[in-house]
Amino acid sequence: MASVGIKLHLLAAIALFLGGCSDHRESAQISSMELTYWPAPNPEEIRLADTLVGVWNRLHPDIRVRMQPIPVSQSTEEVLLAAIAGKTTPDVCSNILPGAMLEYTSAGGLIALDEFSDFDSVALGRTPKDVLETFRSGDHYFQIPWKTNPVMMFYNLRLLEEAGITKLPKTYGEYLAAARTVTRDTNGDGQTDIWMGERDIRPIWWQRLFDFFPFYIAASGGKTLFENGSVAFVNKSSEEVFQFFQDCYRNGYFPHTYFQGGDPFLLEKKASHISGPWEVATLRKFAPQMRYDIVPVPVPDDYRGPVYTFGNFKNIAIFSTTRHPREAWEFVKFLITAEHDLLLLEICNQLPIRGDLTANPLFGDYFRRNPKMTTFARQAAFTREMDAAPDLKEIFDAISQEYEECCVYGKTPPAEAIRAAAQRTQLIVNWNK
Amino acid sequence: MIRKFLHKFRASDRNSYWFISPYVIFFLAFTAYPLIFSFILMFHRWNIVSPMEWVGLKNFERLVLDSLFLKSLGNTVMFLLIHIPLQIVVALGFALLLHSRVRFRGLFRALYFLPVVVSGVVVTILWQQLYSYDYGVLNSVLSSLGLPRMPWLVDASFAMPSIALMATWKNVGIYIILFLVGLQDIPSELYEAAAIDGASRSKQFFRITLPMLNPTMIVIMVLSTIGGFSLFIEPYVMTGGGPMQSTLSGMLYIYNQAFYFNHMGYAATLGFALALVILAVVVIQRKVIEKDSVA
Amino acid sequence: MKAAAKYLILLLGAVIFAYPFLWMIAGSLKPELEISKLSLWSDHFSIRNFFTVISKVPVGRAFLNSLLVSLSVTVFVVLFGSMVGYALARLKFFGQKMLYVLILFTMMIPFQITLIPQYVMMVKLGLTDTYLSLIAPSMMSGLSILLFRQFFMSIPQSLIDAARLDGCSDAGILFRIIYPLAKPVIITVSILTFMTSWNDVLWPLIVVRDRSLMTMPQLVTIFVTGGEAESQLGLLLAAATLLALPVIIAYAFFQRYFIQSMASSGIKG
Repeated sequence: MASVGIKLHLLAAIALFLGGCSDHRESAQISSMELTYWPAPNPEEIRLADTLVGVWNRLHPDIRVRMQPIPVSQSTEEVLLAAIAGKTTPDVCSNILPGAMLEYTSAGGLIALDEFSDFDSVALGRTPKDVLETFRSGDHYFQIPWKTNPVMMFYNLRLLEEAGITKLPKTYGEYLAAARTVTRDTNGDGQTDIWMGERDIRPIWWQRLFDFFPFYIAASGGKTLFENGSVAFVNKSSEEVFQFFQDCYRNGYFPHTYFQGGDPFLLEKKASHISGPWEVATLRKFAPQMRYDIVPVPVPDDYRGPVYTFGNFKNIAIFSTTRHPREAWEFVKFLITAEHDLLLLEICNQLPIRGDLTANPLFGDYFRRNPKMTTFARQAAFTREMDAAPDLKEIFDAISQEYEECCVYGKTPPAEAIRAAAQRTQLIVNWNK
Repeated sequence: MIRKFLHKFRASDRNSYWFISPYVIFFLAFTAYPLIFSFILMFHRWNIVSPMEWVGLKNFERLVLDSLFLKSLGNTVMFLLIHIPLQIVVALGFALLLHSRVRFRGLFRALYFLPVVVSGVVVTILWQQLYSYDYGVLNSVLSSLGLPRMPWLVDASFAMPSIALMATWKNVGIYIILFLVGLQDIPSELYEAAAIDGASRSKQFFRITLPMLNPTMIVIMVLSTIGGFSLFIEPYVMTGGGPMQSTLSGMLYIYNQAFYFNHMGYAATLGFALALVILAVVVIQRKVIEKDSVA
Repeated sequence: MKAAAKYLILLLGAVIFAYPFLWMIAGSLKPELEISKLSLWSDHFSIRNFFTVISKVPVGRAFLNSLLVSLSVTVFVVLFGSMVGYALARLKFFGQKMLYVLILFTMMIPFQITLIPQYVMMVKLGLTDTYLSLIAPSMMSGLSILLFRQFFMSIPQSLIDAARLDGCSDAGILFRIIYPLAKPVIITVSILTFMTSWNDVLWPLIVVRDRSLMTMPQLVTIFVTGGEAESQLGLLLAAATLLALPVIIAYAFFQRYFIQSMASSGIKG
């Protein structure tokens, strides 16, 4: 049987070859298709990209993929925007920030992925529908979800135990109560040595992605800043978040000055840290002696239900300059198969946006070896992304200014601060109409 | 009519035109064209990567509603209110001392002038460390004297005055020199005559010295004002505009709008507005001072 | 006022204006924990911080960049400024008065209004991240033109007439006769231009993103604000010291000229 099959294949190959011979140029074109792929510029993702591209090129010698890392000195969004302007974009990029979608699409830089017939089955077969929906841009999908780094709360177990705290804080009340005993001066010099937490006090816009934004998503049960295109965060939940941080600063649980001398969590100078899965590898490397645990971010005392958080997603997109859209799509599908999602876990310690992360036996072994990652995996189904609003940076900057005034310096009441932030956000939205 | 005008450019002047051609080309390329383009940009929205979009008067609407720009202007006024008087008093004081018969004049002058030549970046980094709340020399001196630590850069009411103090420290050297030149230009006969008339030293100072230094003071005020409105690298490096936007200068705001948020059209509008404000302030200053000196 | 009191105040002034620099240099050599002390001395001086800074950012390259840019700008400003100044001072041509007024007018335009359009121009011409973009917008200076004009107006006409009789062209007059006499104003303009160009940070921050092209103040700014110093004070002070050193050394030798230049510019202003 096999030999017949081989003979048939040989015949077919010869026929194709003869058929193709007549137009030399065409066959040369087909055999020299090349796609450029830009992964994120960090070493782990480059290693992953290398591996995946190597496998692909072995399987598809007729559609070569060339990997190019993005220059480190600039933000990927800047580089991509400049590339779109200069028409020097790659075919595929896997470091697409959903928040920058509007900038990419308004410049006409991406192609609509839902135009491919199998988009629905591929996308829905991997990602839960409600998560997928958050990545739609208008009527189309210009990105396919790839990976998530949910923001959660790390607690230093030793520091908590030394203050007599045995239960990890899950609500604002528990957190503030713990902070009262944890924050103290250990050597009697009049200055606090152990803090409950610490945040950069400078109002830099993306810092809100690691305090206000995830806390708001949690406190509101999964809401983000906008709803149906209108500013929608003036409510009890956002005020409670501002109140929480204001309390932390006012009571001295967080330092008021810019912390100098290194990372306070690694130095075990603070008991709690808001971060994502990448922190696990950092801790393993720089503070291997630390005993810690990871839980969802705290919520208001009267909150009921699952705790959501900011998902910190990165997605994959195909650029409109591509000359081989079908092949590019094939490569994209290749990147998100279950086997390759496993490689994302193994090599990068980052979570693919899969609904079956905890259920699929393929990943079971990885999670058994990396129990801390299981916590993140369970959180992955309860994440939200930044809204695809225009001028997101400036909107978060406006929120940061109010956060600084209200929470860090205690100069305005939370309700007033939230209202002012929403007002300026609305102004920014209007300016972009 | 136009022909007549063009005819005036004689061929015999060709030589001269060669000499001034560099300036003419430069003017067209770097002054005229940018000015014209700025007027075009103000009516558009542009983030460099997408095509320019006509928005009519939207940028001006936005400018009128922009409380942050207004705040940056207020910050600059606060800066100038401290910087200018402080500078004049300190510079005049040292100039008077150096003008009188003292030795090592050259050495003192050279030292006072040192901060002027050094880059603003150096001065900013240096003072940022001096002002540091926990690790700065100023506060460690204060606390060793039993005094409370001052929130130089971390309190909204202190931050801009601290920057004004630093700016005075940096620039006072130039103004000492200017006052010295002004003082040297005052004819000594005036003082001799006044002494003969029985005028006291302080009377001589207020009736002769100060009025004769008026032109110098005007120059100092104008230069400091223009400098104050151009304040950029100090807040950029030291405070990022904070705390609570209290050190946000006009120039820093424009920089952020243009290069952080990519609002080129709006930034051009802001630049135009800021330029108008500067011109207005300078004109008002001159009018006020001239009125004083006439009186 | 008593002499003793005078000297006390003058000395206090000297300390206020010079001590911070000494502290800065000392701080860059001290271990991290001793930096907040007022004293200049430490038992553990080390130049480690300087090596760290140099290894993290291309300081030497930036120094050369600044040198190249500032020297080029100075040469152009002196050359073109003297040409236009001469034309305004000693030549007669139609439009002379208009040109003079035009120059005065452009000097009054605040740079805030032309900054963004000039940047956009550089982007459209594809000149960002080039030396040309750093040099070109500063090639001409209204102030230098005025300073040259002022000086040239004081040159005796007889000298020029004599040269003309000898068959000298205007260019010859300028470069061969006047330049040797114009040393003071050339030095003044050179120093002013060089210092202004060297210390300019805003424009380089805008048009140059490539590290290998950055000027020295720009590179130090990026280093300090970019978090690469990882909040180590010694590194920040070392970077500042490196930036200040060339200027302080030049100043130590030429301080008289520095002071004279800046003074005459202020007077004209």
